[in-house]
Amino acid sequence: MSRNYIIENLKKEIDNFSSRIKAEKVGHVLEVFDGIAKLSGLSQIKSSEMVTFPNAEIGVALNLEEDTIGVVILSDFSKIKEGDEVRATGKILEVPVSDNIIGRVVNALGIEIDGKGVIKADKTYPIEKIAPGVITRLSVDKPVITGIKVIDAAIPIGRGQRELIIGDRQTGKTAIAVDTILNQKDQDIICIYVSIGQKDSKLRKIQTRLEEGGAMAYTVIVSAGSSEPAPLLYIAPYTGVSIAEYFMDQGKDVLIIYDDLSKHAAAYREISLLLRRPPGREAYPGDVFYLHSRLLERACRKNKEYGGGSITALPIIETQAGDVTAYIPTNVISITDGQIFLETDLFYKGIRPAVNVGLSVSRVGSTAQIKAMKKVAGTLKLDLAQYRELEAFSQFGSDLDNATKQQLERGKRAVEVLKQPQYAPMAIEHQVAVLYALTKGYMDDISVDKIKAFEEGLINYTEKYAKKFYKEVTETKMWTEAGETELKKAIEGFKKVFN
Amino acid sequence: MATLSNNDIARAIYLLSKDKTQAQLRDTNGKIVNFLFRRRLLSETRDILERLDKIINYENRTVEAKVSTARKLRGKFKKELLSFLKKRYRAKGVILAEKLDEELLGGVRVEVNDEVINLTVRNKINELQEHLVGKI
Repeated sequence: MSRNYIIENLKKEIDNFSSRIKAEKVGHVLEVFDGIAKLSGLSQIKSSEMVTFPNAEIGVALNLEEDTIGVVILSDFSKIKEGDEVRATGKILEVPVSDNIIGRVVNALGIEIDGKGVIKADKTYPIEKIAPGVITRLSVDKPVITGIKVIDAAIPIGRGQRELIIGDRQTGKTAIAVDTILNQKDQDIICIYVSIGQKDSKLRKIQTRLEEGGAMAYTVIVSAGSSEPAPLLYIAPYTGVSIAEYFMDQGKDVLIIYDDLSKHAAAYREISLLLRRPPGREAYPGDVFYLHSRLLERACRKNKEYGGGSITALPIIETQAGDVTAYIPTNVISITDGQIFLETDLFYKGIRPAVNVGLSVSRVGSTAQIKAMKKVAGTLKLDLAQYRELEAFSQFGSDLDNATKQQLERGKRAVEVLKQPQYAPMAIEHQVAVLYALTKGYMDDISVDKIKAFEEGLINYTEKYAKKFYKEVTETKMWTEAGETELKKAIEGFKKVFN
Repeated sequence: MATLSNNDIARAIYLLSKDKTQAQLRDTNGKIVNFLFRRRLLSETRDILERLDKIINYENRTVEAKVSTARKLRGKFKKELLSFLKKRYRAKGVILAEKLDEELLGGVRVEVNDEVINLTVRNKINELQEHLVGKI
């Protein structure tokens, strides 16, 4: 490239350049502290509007007071000083979105942080958006197969549903979310994992696990780690759902995991207190319900006229000592369409995933459950709840009638069958076959400690000798009489071999 | 009881002092100082007076304009600028606060309330720089 060519091009660009005279609204920094700036001026600014500082730092106006504005700063605020000029942008915060974002790790502003190079994006999406209206929606009728037996059988999740995962620390909440992502291979679902206030080491582990399982091919990770300032933790889930909306608008199904909203609420509390908003219950501000409701309302299933995509949300809430009656857990329970409740006691008893079937519920998921699963798992939830009650009673006396004894024995086997190791999601047709064997009593005479081995063997055996059954369940989501007979024969055949 | 903001106090002072004679004003001023003392607001006096200034300007339809230039404003240009500002802000009077800043290189920068009209050479160069960087 010659020198003349560069000069000519520069001249051309300078000739083409025209500067428009405009009157701009500006504000001035009054004070800066802990990621918050108080501004004067900017009389026309709107709530949630983005502002820019002299060194290209960006902020969002959250507090509009009589003559000052409270702004949260979303980047390094060490260079901002009193008297700096601040400009309003006239738009709310936007994040870059494109198909290239799949497989990448981005921060709360949508900028890559995985060192794999800049993500080329030709579009931006606003992080705050009004949730889709009633007319554009469709009721939940398609399942999200998690690959976790207890969830797919007893607490099924549908596409467009919001199902809360709730439990104490170290009870396997993230494990359920990661397993669900791993099971979405070839399911035509894009997954978004939003990490809010988690340790970077934990996120790295999850990323590695997803890479090993080939799940990063359809997953995006949005990270706002524990070392990041509170404003970034606050916007991270909105960034995640904006990316999800980009894919939903293309008619795709998206699964988004918010890990976790307790830390999100705590970050919002921090910001609100710094902005001197009046504290309410547990020192959270008055609009903490709206914080989560406006986020989770954006999960939906759209009807065909509006693209037909969906966003399924799995928010995670961490409880303290199993207290589900705290402020944030009750809020999110009331917003979501059900909850998966994980218990520490069950976890230490070796029942993993430690799902308490009695307290867990899926309010809309059963309509999305496949017919075959509905048939085998119809009464499973109730049976398990009854088993737990009987188990407690049976400890007081040894004289039990036969029906009760049988129910207890069946319950023990059901609990055993529903145990599942981490990172081992099971195909839905295998789940149906195993649960069929359980509910039809084929496992009643197998000793409890051999149930796992029986289950493994049964899957291998029936795959060979009940091909028709599997084909029917995979294709039509239900078996025919012929398929059922074939499965029955296969189970009986395997029992002979197993014994 | 709702708390009084400095703006409320400034507005009250304005309404109290409006259309008063010199003698009456002396008496009113004494009462105002007494009130500020009793409410322990003497430390807020500076802010209250600034607000009072703004209220008086607003009521008298006077605007305060900060004008920054690289060189001192000359007669004709100053007149033109004053008439432009009167027209734009529908003001009866304009108070110019002039500031010399050689870094602006040329042109003028006018700041009225929170509105800025930047017609300086420095600003044009900055915009050109942004334009050229954006093309890369």
